[in-house]
Amino acid sequence: MFKRMAEFGPDSGGRVKGVTIVKPIVFGNVARYFGKKREEDGHTHQWTVYVKPYRNEDMSAYVKKIQFKLHESYGNPLRGMTEFPSMLRIDQCEVVLQVTLYHLLKLFQSDSSAMPKKTVVSEFYDEMIFQDPTAMMQQLLNTTRQLTLGAYKHETEFAELEMRTREKLEVSKKKTSLEITELKEKLKASRENINFLKEEIRKLEEEDQIKEH
Amino acid sequence: MATGADVRDILELAGGDNDAGPISKKDIINSDKKKAKKATETLTFKRPEGMHREVYALLYSDKNRDAPPLLPSDTTQGYRTVKAKLGCKKVRPWKWMPFTNPARKDGAIFHHWRRAVEEGKDYPFGRFNKTVQVPVYSEQEYQMYLHDDGWTKAETDHLFDLCKRFDLRFIVIHDRYDHQQYRKRSVEDLKERYYNICGKLTKVRAVTGTEPKIYIFDAGHERRRKEQLERLFNRTPEQVAEEEYLIQELRKIETRKKEREKKAQDLQKLITAADSTTEMRRAERKATKKKLPQKRETEKPAVPETAGIKFPDFKSAGVSLRSQRMKLPSSVGQKKIKAIEQILTEQGVDLNPMPTEEIVQMFNELRSDLVLVYELKQAHSNCEYEQQMLRHRYEALMKSGGGPDSQAWPGPDDIKTEAKEQIIDVVGAPLTPNSRKRRESASSSSSIKKMKKP
Repeated sequence: MFKRMAEFGPDSGGRVKGVTIVKPIVFGNVARYFGKKREEDGHTHQWTVYVKPYRNEDMSAYVKKIQFKLHESYGNPLRGMTEFPSMLRIDQCEVVLQVTLYHLLKLFQSDSSAMPKKTVVSEFYDEMIFQDPTAMMQQLLNTTRQLTLGAYKHETEFAELEMRTREKLEVSKKKTSLEITELKEKLKASRENINFLKEEIRKLEEEDQIKEH
Repeated sequence: MATGADVRDILELAGGDNDAGPISKKDIINSDKKKAKKATETLTFKRPEGMHREVYALLYSDKNRDAPPLLPSDTTQGYRTVKAKLGCKKVRPWKWMPFTNPARKDGAIFHHWRRAVEEGKDYPFGRFNKTVQVPVYSEQEYQMYLHDDGWTKAETDHLFDLCKRFDLRFIVIHDRYDHQQYRKRSVEDLKERYYNICGKLTKVRAVTGTEPKIYIFDAGHERRRKEQLERLFNRTPEQVAEEEYLIQELRKIETRKKEREKKAQDLQKLITAADSTTEMRRAERKATKKKLPQKRETEKPAVPETAGIKFPDFKSAGVSLRSQRMKLPSSVGQKKIKAIEQILTEQGVDLNPMPTEEIVQMFNELRSDLVLVYELKQAHSNCEYEQQMLRHRYEALMKSGGGPDSQAWPGPDDIKTEAKEQIIDVVGAPLTPNSRKRRESASSSSSIKKMKKP
């Protein structure tokens, strides 16, 4: 659970209309089980929760602060992170934008009780959408530095995941539209049938009436 | 504290201190003249009666001995609303006196107690004796205008005499009417005759050129009204019950009709929605084949117009998360959400897929379609059910009617209906047992009724 804030400068009044900048991010946690209760404090897990950019770029240009809100049983549940040392030092902030994400810390492998020594990774992809940013923000968003020179990797293969998800969705969609057409035809048929039957019944009833009179 | 004046009053001895004339309202209410005198005598301002202590303190306090200029000078009545002071000292005497009632013509004299002041005045209740002005006609007038074949002059005279005697109380007149000497007449007959004559007389006697107002008595209407009332009163309990039952049935029929119409409309909507989605899919497929993502984007706004889920547009400036756009709007009911989730898990689709733009778009469309499927399924099962009911009725009619063309399925539509039958059997629409029972009972009862009708 964390919050992220981005603040705009004094010239934030003018927004650049029609511009949408998308910044993908990755958030989640890794956790490791000690195997037993640690003697000194009784802890059982070591975990790290994080937010990082999906692409290899320095987020601190457009993110001022990330705030993690832990469960209230932890001491000091609100922990801010401003360890981006770079250029965003605009103190007279006028607009505070806030995005709230929820993330459940995952400490246990839910399916297997075996292999408790293995590190648990629970990582998700999301995208921040900056709709009509201010001119200043736009500049900040467009001019970012690389975070590392080397390879920038995530625990999860998101490209592959995207492919898989898309395929599944496509299959499902095709199925659904087929189902729709089928159902539609059936519906039409049964409606015609109903109308036909109604007509027949009406005729029969009329005949009956004529007979009895 | 009986003073000398009281004693004198009681003994009705004249010559008291200041009793001139009768007691007035002012005397009763405003009887603290003495106090007012005292107030003017003493220079210290006493708190006026009824004024709150706090208010008085604002005006006048011990510290500040100066008299405030705004102190009201007229404090006799205080701030209270005026109350009558009962037990006032002066007594208004009563007297035993004779009186005549002007409403009486015999001049009988009675006695009663009355205030001495009112001696000699008229009896106040005499004016309540109102009499009705019953017109009088002369012999000549009767011959000229008032002749009626159903009425003799003697009978008309008798009627007018009674009208005068009983002040147009027609029920009483009818009761006292001489039914032995004259014909039997109803209240309406009497009224009709009376008001006819009145109307004619006013017309004849009116000054030429002016149009007199004539009261028209609609005897026919009155007769019908009374007859109706009579009938209403004479209904047997069974008749009352039957009427109520029939009204209820009528209401039921009307609601059922409305329901049916609504259903038909909904069905039509669904079908058009399905049509549009399938067409759109085709268009989209073509677009994807061309691999022109920009073009597809222009088509997208058409999507939310279909039935299914309407996702809100995210157009406002600011930061938002892509995953927010996958949230189902609150207009989607719990049942539908559950149905969607079930199908998604069946088809192995993640309930929270990775939110890239394309996937979110697809995911939302998929769920919209699923809702449409859900609705279509429901509509279809309803239709199926209706169809079955109709078929049963049809068969029943065929058997009972036993007409010349009583084969299983008549005429030219033979093959067509059979084909449809197969469709029905294959589908075997799942119906909740509850709704089935309910509808069964409803429609069977209606069919029975219809069978009874002829």
